[in-house]
Amino acid sequence: MADIANENKYPDDGYSQDLFVLKEDAADITIDENFASQSFWKEVRAQFLKKKSAVFGLIAIIIITLLAIFGPGMNSYSYSDQDLSQKNLAPRVAWLEGLGIFDGSETISTTSGSKTTNGYEDSGLSDVYYWFGSDTFGRDIWTRTWSGARVSLIIAVAAALIDMIIGMSYGLISGFFGGKVDMVMQRILEVSNGIPRLVIVTLLLLVLSPGILTIVFALMLTEWIGMSRIARAEMLKLKEREFVLASRTLGAGSFFIIFKEVLPNIIGPIITQVMFSIPTAIFTEAFLSFVGLGIPVPQCSLGSLISEGFNSFTTHPYQIVPPIIVMALLMLSFNLVADGLREALDPKFKEM
Amino acid sequence: MRKYVLKRVLTAVFTLLVILLVLFILMQLMPGSPFNDEKLTDDQLQLLYEKYGLDKPIIVQFFNYVKNMFTGDFGVSYKISKNTPIAQLIASRLPISIGIGFMAVFIGALIGLILGIVAAIWHDTILDTIATIISVIGVSVPSYVFALALSFEFGFTLGWFPMLYSNSAQLSSSILPSVSLSMFTMASIARFTRSEMMEVMDSEYMLLAESKGLSGRALILRHALRNALIPIVTVLAPLIVDLMTGSLVVEKIFSIPGVGSLLVNAIQSNDYNVVISLSFIYSAMYIVIMLVVDILYGIIDPRIRLAKEDG
Amino acid sequence: MKKRLLSIALAAAMTVTLFGCGGTSSDTTTSSGDSSSSSASVSSSDLNIMLETAVESLDPQEATDGTSFEVIADFTDGLMQMDEDGQAVEAIAESYESSDDGLTWTFHLREDATWSNGEPVTAADFVFGWQRAVDPDVASEYSYMLSDIGQIKNAAEIIEGNVDKSELGVTAEDDYTLVVELEAPVSYFLSLMYFPTFYPVNEAFFNECGDSYATSPDTLLSNGAFVIDDYEPAATAFHLTKNDDYYDADTVQLSGLNYQVIQDSQQALMSYQSGDLDMTLVNGDQVEQVQDDDEYLAVGAGYLWYVAPNMDAVEELANENIRFAMTYAINRDSICEDVLKDGSAPTYTAVPPEFATGPDGSDFSADQTMFADVCSYDADKAAEAWEKGLSELGVTSLEFDMIVDSDDAPQKVAQVLKEQWETALPGLTVNLVVEPKKQRVQDMQDGNFELGLTRWGPDYADPMTYLGMWVTGNNNNYGLWSNSEYDAIIEECTTGEIAQDEEARWQKLYDAEQIVMDEAVIFPLYTQCNAEMISSNVTGVEFHPVALNRVYKRAVKSE
Repeated sequence: MADIANENKYPDDGYSQDLFVLKEDAADITIDENFASQSFWKEVRAQFLKKKSAVFGLIAIIIITLLAIFGPGMNSYSYSDQDLSQKNLAPRVAWLEGLGIFDGSETISTTSGSKTTNGYEDSGLSDVYYWFGSDTFGRDIWTRTWSGARVSLIIAVAAALIDMIIGMSYGLISGFFGGKVDMVMQRILEVSNGIPRLVIVTLLLLVLSPGILTIVFALMLTEWIGMSRIARAEMLKLKEREFVLASRTLGAGSFFIIFKEVLPNIIGPIITQVMFSIPTAIFTEAFLSFVGLGIPVPQCSLGSLISEGFNSFTTHPYQIVPPIIVMALLMLSFNLVADGLREALDPKFKEM
Repeated sequence: MRKYVLKRVLTAVFTLLVILLVLFILMQLMPGSPFNDEKLTDDQLQLLYEKYGLDKPIIVQFFNYVKNMFTGDFGVSYKISKNTPIAQLIASRLPISIGIGFMAVFIGALIGLILGIVAAIWHDTILDTIATIISVIGVSVPSYVFALALSFEFGFTLGWFPMLYSNSAQLSSSILPSVSLSMFTMASIARFTRSEMMEVMDSEYMLLAESKGLSGRALILRHALRNALIPIVTVLAPLIVDLMTGSLVVEKIFSIPGVGSLLVNAIQSNDYNVVISLSFIYSAMYIVIMLVVDILYGIIDPRIRLAKEDG
Repeated sequence: MKKRLLSIALAAAMTVTLFGCGGTSSDTTTSSGDSSSSSASVSSSDLNIMLETAVESLDPQEATDGTSFEVIADFTDGLMQMDEDGQAVEAIAESYESSDDGLTWTFHLREDATWSNGEPVTAADFVFGWQRAVDPDVASEYSYMLSDIGQIKNAAEIIEGNVDKSELGVTAEDDYTLVVELEAPVSYFLSLMYFPTFYPVNEAFFNECGDSYATSPDTLLSNGAFVIDDYEPAATAFHLTKNDDYYDADTVQLSGLNYQVIQDSQQALMSYQSGDLDMTLVNGDQVEQVQDDDEYLAVGAGYLWYVAPNMDAVEELANENIRFAMTYAINRDSICEDVLKDGSAPTYTAVPPEFATGPDGSDFSADQTMFADVCSYDADKAAEAWEKGLSELGVTSLEFDMIVDSDDAPQKVAQVLKEQWETALPGLTVNLVVEPKKQRVQDMQDGNFELGLTRWGPDYADPMTYLGMWVTGNNNNYGLWSNSEYDAIIEECTTGEIAQDEEARWQKLYDAEQIVMDEAVIFPLYTQCNAEMISSNVTGVEFHPVALNRVYKRAVKSE
């Protein structure tokens, strides 16, 4: 097939050229070299399921994701509808009311002593129920918490996936080619790592209008670095391995080796890193909200809900509690799952 | 070895210069001026630009800045503390930030180590899970909420520590901010220690030590921990630099006169010189620490040195 | 004794005139001077004050922000000072007179005023300070206080660099006589004299300090009630102590001022509750915690918040009916009471109330119903105007973007505005675009916006500080509105004959305001208040919405 073209590639070296056939980038050179095979994943799954904390984390993530999808639709409120006559009402749940909890009463500690009030009774709202209470605009915190969780999850997962693609490609290419390419790419990385995130994000918000996309973009710009370091380190480890050499000998191109040969073998650490970078993204978004550069009002994310509730921290603590708990659970769960995955994939894997 | 160090130092200097240039270009893109854009007329703004040399082309400003920098002159603040030399502004604040950063790293590393060791020794048991949860819980809540909760509980309600930083009681008023800052370090160190320890305990020389009859605490402390510590120390260094700027929010809450709060204010008020200088110092510290870590690592472990020289 | 003190404090608190809470004066004092000085025992302790932001500069000609002004005024006296009602009264000037044409002012300085290094305060110190303010090399941001606002002879020319600063129309006739020449009569000239840009600077001392002037206690001179004794640039805590050599030292009862910068309002309130602070600001959400407290006080901050429609670039907003519909649809009471909660006052005039007092001593904007037919909350009129506007434009729905600062309060207000507009005006969609403040200001000045939520603080106690904004071509006339009749009135009131006839000028200013309101050039929203807590054993702290926000000279702290 390709023999004619390769006729003069290897000048006469004493062997008959008929003995060897260069395969170039043909499909069949990928057949055997991946040691990430079917049974490997089966074992990973078994290992993962053995770790209880990781399973707990996975379940928690699934539940929160389901609530983020369906939670806002579970009552009649919307995340942006204001009713200023029903502002700052404490949580009230119909079937818990009788037990004396979640009955809509709250104790406010004022400078002149603490007082207990029930906003529902005071305003005669006998059949109004805000499960998590209402905020300073009279918006339902239940609906806002789950809409916020939805936005946070979208931002975090999108940012983590984009990080993965960019950081991974960058690290793999840098590691594979080494030498001058690596040198230049690592300097670029150091430069972008050296500029404070807040400066970049502030500037970004001027170029792009604020919103989910901008925040994802901002997170991406700053978070890919960790991913690329891991990918590069893995590449450095693997590129001298036999299966890479074999592929090279068979005439495979650089990009073929990087993405078809090496990538499948480092997918484990990469996935683990993605799992770790999701909570980081959620957290960074919360920080951006706190400095006023988060999601534009009246939309909300967990971060913006927390920074809104922050001002009422000492007055109406119930306003900050739901988003804090959801965020903490998410952070914890993603970390547990990531830990579990890492061990399942490679018990000796070290964080970079 | 000397050639390697020299090469690394030169590239570090070059990288820093590029960072500086990028910062200058970014500052140029910031909207508005450091001055009162609402009330000043264009003529007045022009006067102010001339006064501070901001009317010159960006490349001229850059070279002037670099030239002055070698004499220790980082320019003056335009807004947050008018006409104060940046060097003076930072000189009194950097030690405070670094002090609190070190304290946070110390607290975080200590607790992180203990949690990591516990998790490694009894790995895959309930203790492991508890240690993991404890180490993660601190980073599961945004630092500003955590800081305020600490302040409310231990400062206001119990009255054990001052709620605000004060120059007259530096140690006691640094405790709450340090603890709120230490959470990230604690989580990282705990996780790292756990995997390091597990790897070391799996290794052949541990088996050898065990077969020689050593056991229990001596084995863990004398052999496992000592070998696990070297890589742990290397991840600690960059954490300290991170804490220096990572403390923006915590500094604001505890009214700490450090560089983190300064940076936030400077960005919000377009105080170019302050932003550039602080960012630059941050990058410089980061790069220098990474450099030192690399070189030290090279001395400790010759295999790495060789690998590095290849690359 | 303790009980008696408490009752005095309570009585004092009750006589306080609260801004935005039915009071008649914005200049709030926590007690009348007489009762406190005659009966309360004097404490020797310091007053602990919370600041939201750090001092930017203690150089009177370089400073631009309220915090810096407050602190500078603690230790520096100008020709005049503010009394408890915000009126200009003599300070370093013992007496003054103006010529019949209003173009020359002569100030006679008191001879017992000294700087803290022992040197006397002389007319030359004022000449030096004022010349610095217009010196193009200094490039003071507040130089326009001398040129555009103060109309001091040659000021504008000097700022532009055409004339040497020694030509400034201010001369020291002798050590204690200062003569000021103006380009045009300025009716509010005396009230400028307490503004820090007009404060004196001792030339010899300034030259000794060189570049480090005003950066440490050693490089600062005091001629006022207090002396700064612990300070460094951008400090989060600093201290002033009573100036025993002050000419009016007998009035000063406090032993010192202890400032603490706290950016987080909850930390501030906790510090206040635990007794570390005597005064603190609280945010709107916290008011609920403190509103029943006698120590809570809403203090006028002077800022007018308003929405500026871009009539020039947005065709739909050029339609008067659409603008009227939008201003009628705003429930300003709800914004203040339900959302801001800090005592901010609903405002229906282009010049906010309670900062400018007229010739007869009444407040320029005391009557908030003056323009009720064009600016009020009226859902029916809003719907009517909306219908009319839509049919004129031939559309059924409209969509506007509103740019908003990324700060807490503007974001809250914007969310309610959006809700109110979209509820009252069917077919209207308002998108909020949150931007850092610097960006928002730039966008508005570039005309790159549709609706903008913005604020304006008064620079001096005259309606002109607001009305001057909507002159054709002004930087802050964001909607690029232009009305020749309006321009003529403003011109007449600034430099025309009428400028000296206070009564007539006042009436003309109303005419100008009427035009702005009739065309709905802006939608005024509210006048900002600051919610403060002041310990019940502190009396006599004076609050002003203009220039010097807080004055402690006559404050008393009892044990």
